[in-house]
Amino acid sequence: MAEKRRENPLFDAITDPDGVFSSLFFPAMSVFLGLASAGVLMPFLGHSPAAVYRDLFSFAFRDIYNIADIFAKASPLILTGLAFAFAFRAGLFNIGAQGQFYLGAVASAACALSFPYLPSWVLLPLCAAASMAAGGLWGGMTGFFKARFNANEFLVSMMSTYVAVAIMDFLVRSPLREAKGEYPQTDVLAEAAWIPSFLPGTRFHWGFFLALAAAGAAWVLLWKTTLGFRMRAVGKNRAAARFAGIREKSVFVSVFLVSGAFAGLAGFLEVNGVQHMVVQGFNPLLGAEGIGIAVLGSAHPLGVVLSALLFGALKVGGLLVTQTSSVPSSIIAILEGFVMLYVILSFYLRHRLRRSRSRRRTAAGGEAP
Amino acid sequence: MESPHNEALSLRGIMKVFPGVLANAGVNLSARRGEILAILGENGAGKSTLMKILYGMYQPDSGAVSVNGREVRIRSPKDALALGIGMIHQHFTLVPVHTVWENVVLGLDPSSGRPADRKGAVRELEALGRKYGLAVDPCAVVADLSVGMQQKTEILKVLYRSVSILVLDEPTAVLTPGEAENLFGFLQEFRAAGNTVLFITHKLGEVMEIADRIEVLRGGRNAGSFLRGEVTERELAARMVGGDIPPVGEPPSRPTGRDVLEVRDLWVRGSRGHHAVRGVSFAVRAGEIFGVAGVSGNGQEELADCVCGLARQERGEILLDGRVLPREDPGAVFRAGVGYIPADRHREGLVLDMTVEENLVLKNLPAYSRKGFLREGAIRENAERRIADYGIRPPLPGSRTASLSGGNQQKVVAAREIEAGRKCIVAVQPTRGLDLGAAAHVHRMLAGARSEGRAVFLVSTELSEIMSLSDTVAVMTGGEILGIFPRESADLRMIGMLMAGRKGEPE
Amino acid sequence: MILEGLLARAVQMSTPLLLGSLGEVMVERTGVMNMAIEGIFLLGAWAGFTGAYITGSLAAGFLCAMAAGVAVGALYGWITVCLKQHQIVTGVAINILAAGIGIFFYRVLFGVPLLPLTVEPLRPLAVPFLSDIPVIGPALFRQNILTYLAWGAMPLGWWVLFRTRTGLVLRSTGANPEAVDAAGISVERVRFGAVLAAGALSGLAGAFYSIGYLGLFSNDMIGGRGWIAFALCFLGNWNPLGALLGAVVFGIADAAAITLQTSGIRMVPNEFLIALPYMLTIAATLARKRFNVPASLGTAYIKEEK
Repeated sequence: MAEKRRENPLFDAITDPDGVFSSLFFPAMSVFLGLASAGVLMPFLGHSPAAVYRDLFSFAFRDIYNIADIFAKASPLILTGLAFAFAFRAGLFNIGAQGQFYLGAVASAACALSFPYLPSWVLLPLCAAASMAAGGLWGGMTGFFKARFNANEFLVSMMSTYVAVAIMDFLVRSPLREAKGEYPQTDVLAEAAWIPSFLPGTRFHWGFFLALAAAGAAWVLLWKTTLGFRMRAVGKNRAAARFAGIREKSVFVSVFLVSGAFAGLAGFLEVNGVQHMVVQGFNPLLGAEGIGIAVLGSAHPLGVVLSALLFGALKVGGLLVTQTSSVPSSIIAILEGFVMLYVILSFYLRHRLRRSRSRRRTAAGGEAP
Repeated sequence: MESPHNEALSLRGIMKVFPGVLANAGVNLSARRGEILAILGENGAGKSTLMKILYGMYQPDSGAVSVNGREVRIRSPKDALALGIGMIHQHFTLVPVHTVWENVVLGLDPSSGRPADRKGAVRELEALGRKYGLAVDPCAVVADLSVGMQQKTEILKVLYRSVSILVLDEPTAVLTPGEAENLFGFLQEFRAAGNTVLFITHKLGEVMEIADRIEVLRGGRNAGSFLRGEVTERELAARMVGGDIPPVGEPPSRPTGRDVLEVRDLWVRGSRGHHAVRGVSFAVRAGEIFGVAGVSGNGQEELADCVCGLARQERGEILLDGRVLPREDPGAVFRAGVGYIPADRHREGLVLDMTVEENLVLKNLPAYSRKGFLREGAIRENAERRIADYGIRPPLPGSRTASLSGGNQQKVVAAREIEAGRKCIVAVQPTRGLDLGAAAHVHRMLAGARSEGRAVFLVSTELSEIMSLSDTVAVMTGGEILGIFPRESADLRMIGMLMAGRKGEPE
Repeated sequence: MILEGLLARAVQMSTPLLLGSLGEVMVERTGVMNMAIEGIFLLGAWAGFTGAYITGSLAAGFLCAMAAGVAVGALYGWITVCLKQHQIVTGVAINILAAGIGIFFYRVLFGVPLLPLTVEPLRPLAVPFLSDIPVIGPALFRQNILTYLAWGAMPLGWWVLFRTRTGLVLRSTGANPEAVDAAGISVERVRFGAVLAAGALSGLAGAFYSIGYLGLFSNDMIGGRGWIAFALCFLGNWNPLGALLGAVVFGIADAAAITLQTSGIRMVPNEFLIALPYMLTIAATLARKRFNVPASLGTAYIKEEK
């Protein structure tokens, strides 16, 4: 019996549902299947999926400008992905990243518009701090409600997004409105509030590295600090954490503060790095996409970064495709939805693999490991 | 020899594998009409699994089942019920928020939109209750009933569907000795009517009292089949364990020393708003094992929870070495030197998805962190020391705790708590679900703590465990401590009576 | 006059909330949360409009909407009940997908019209005599047929849930699935069936917005109201009559917001009125201290676990 098991260690390693190979294979497969499924729909509008995807990928990598754009698009996605993933690790659901993003954006813009005469090296950190504070406090509100009232944070964070949208709409229509008063948007921000560009001539700005730093900070927080330890304990086994004396209420609040700050920072990146103003209703899917990215990235900061880059590439190529042909922009949401569904199905597959491995081992060896 | 006319059911070559566990490895079993068959084995021997296969809740990987001489496929409890097989589970399958009659009627004619017939059901239930001596108020809400009453509801549920083969899984685990006698009386009547009873247990005493035949299981396999008159308890125990019985426990020492843990007039409210602990007072001395016996659900867990800061007392004081323990602060209680081995290590003791070294510092993070960051070196060192001291296998601090066996998981909990409990250790059901070897190990650790001069507060529903370990025995019933005796003068009959004392069950 | 109009509109706007929350109560009573509710509302709206536009019959549209709801419910149910995957993540995935699929197929079928396509929405059906009672008459008895159905469905739902054997099974599944399993009923079948029913009701609810009220389809016409129906299940304490009460309150808030907006009274900024229902939901979620939560809500029923 023993020889049979040792027959092929390579096979064992590859099919190990918790191993490195699987961590890459399953997400990659999910993306592939997602593309295929969306591709099945394209002929309905008379497009050939092969042609569309060929265009998509060639557009995305066509020139330096587009490749740089991938990083620009990925930057805020990393942060909204982190927002969801971070809370998820504590067993919490922050669905309000979109609202936290908007309020962070508005706070940053308000800061820039109020102090346009300040030098860059003061104004930029100020705006960043404002965005994190706004997003963090808004998210923290949800955490507080959960701690104090045992409210369902899914529902509260979801509703708070709609409220945040209303707040942003209001601000952009009156107090912060552009001098011209024509459109519901702010004035263009002073140049001192612009995040410097990393690659001149493209939209790739230094904010991307700020996002990477945030991912690094998330990793450190989760695995190297006591807060992270407490979070993970609460996330995996509330009862044991409570029994161990971990105050879960303070964990709830802290987690949402940090999670909201991540999402708020995304607002700083978008407003000060790319748009240089706030337009009503911009980037409406950033929060939802962040969820998809977090799931695809297995709620791990590294996975989030990689997934965000992937989604960034899909968006850059996808947008160009929709602009140059009549493929509708809804295909992007369809793509994201399919990818998420396949990731969920892959979780199921891995679960089955784990069980059948365990069963095989037990039947052969007869004893629990 | 089985006469085919008399054989009610037979299981042949049953095989069942779960991830990580070989539950049944080719088990054979048969039972006759008008017979009580006891299925004996320790925890993990595969008894429950076998019966769940019979009842259709699990499907065997291979093997055959025959009922009344005909081979059958039991794919679900529905099929089992249709064949006249009913099961009373260890953990009651009742819906607590519903009434007795609603629970009994559940599942009959489920897809009709017909209104549930309350009056008819109540009438029939009362008749059944009278017939078998199982009177329960059909309109009572199950959550309000005593455990004995709840079990009667389970039985009525099964009788309502006319079964001829009744399977009971550890039915006396939650009963007082008085209630258990009632149950046995019912079983004997049931048998006299020509029906079959399969009775799963790990208690040797019960088997000798009630069974006609005994089937022993060990490690998922058959380990002996006997008529009751042909075998002694000693022999059965040997078959259960597969060798010599390990020594029962160390002789009690004479505890001297001061009172370490003192509880004075403690009142604690339970989850349903009533008082689970009513005016309890006692003291545990250094170098003493103080064992509280009692059927589960009498307030023992609430008492232990309160001592360790997990529940708030309404009135009364808890003192450690003369100083009042911090209320509702498990971390502080831990740091004050009280270890707590909880009843359910999966739920409360361990975060299974974390590593062994992480679980070992779970309750004492401040000692292993500096300015908010974890001191990984110190954590690793601590783990290596504990692993060596307590023989935790496999000796890998970074392995996921879920991958350890039950016994080793309990060792992790014990290692953490016994190390921390330099003054006092509270242990609730510390050997639940463990095989005899692991259980003996835990007992040795507790006895060792006692020898070092610590106070040990032990709560267990297994009377044998209490009797073999404790220096002082107390009985807790209905939230009150009804008697405290030194072990030598404790008498099983008296304890049994005390356990039944305030339950409100007629003898 | 204004009060009458307000009440009438409140009753009307509560219709989809009633249907959606009834479905949610049914399914949550078995222990499953329908996290795809917003997406089902949207696809129901799309399917309803498409069916009605193509066949020219509103009834056909509503049937299509229910079918779409059942289909999406089947997908959600398969993943969460049968494959036992996480309910919230699956719901989010389906909601994102729904946001794209509806508008995509609208484009496939109808292209990009200059003006949005319309159908004639439901007309009110006055009940003789009763609709002439002052104030409440028009509010309660001059509504469209879907509203009457929805209001009738709530007491019917209550009766099914609390007075029939089927209801007993539903409630028991959520309270203690082991009990149902031991009684010989497949827990998965019960839950899957409940998810399908919730899907049908939510699809119908979504179609109210497209063919019951506005007469057109747009991708942001649901605007989070599926989530409000979801919240009403909580707030109504998992009881159809409780949800009814909640739906009325929200219907009033919704109607008040619209009335204030259209009447031009500028006491509060428009955005505040738009945000009102969502703020109310949050407030109500906080105020509910003691829930009768079905004990197994949100957890998959795993049998052969070791």
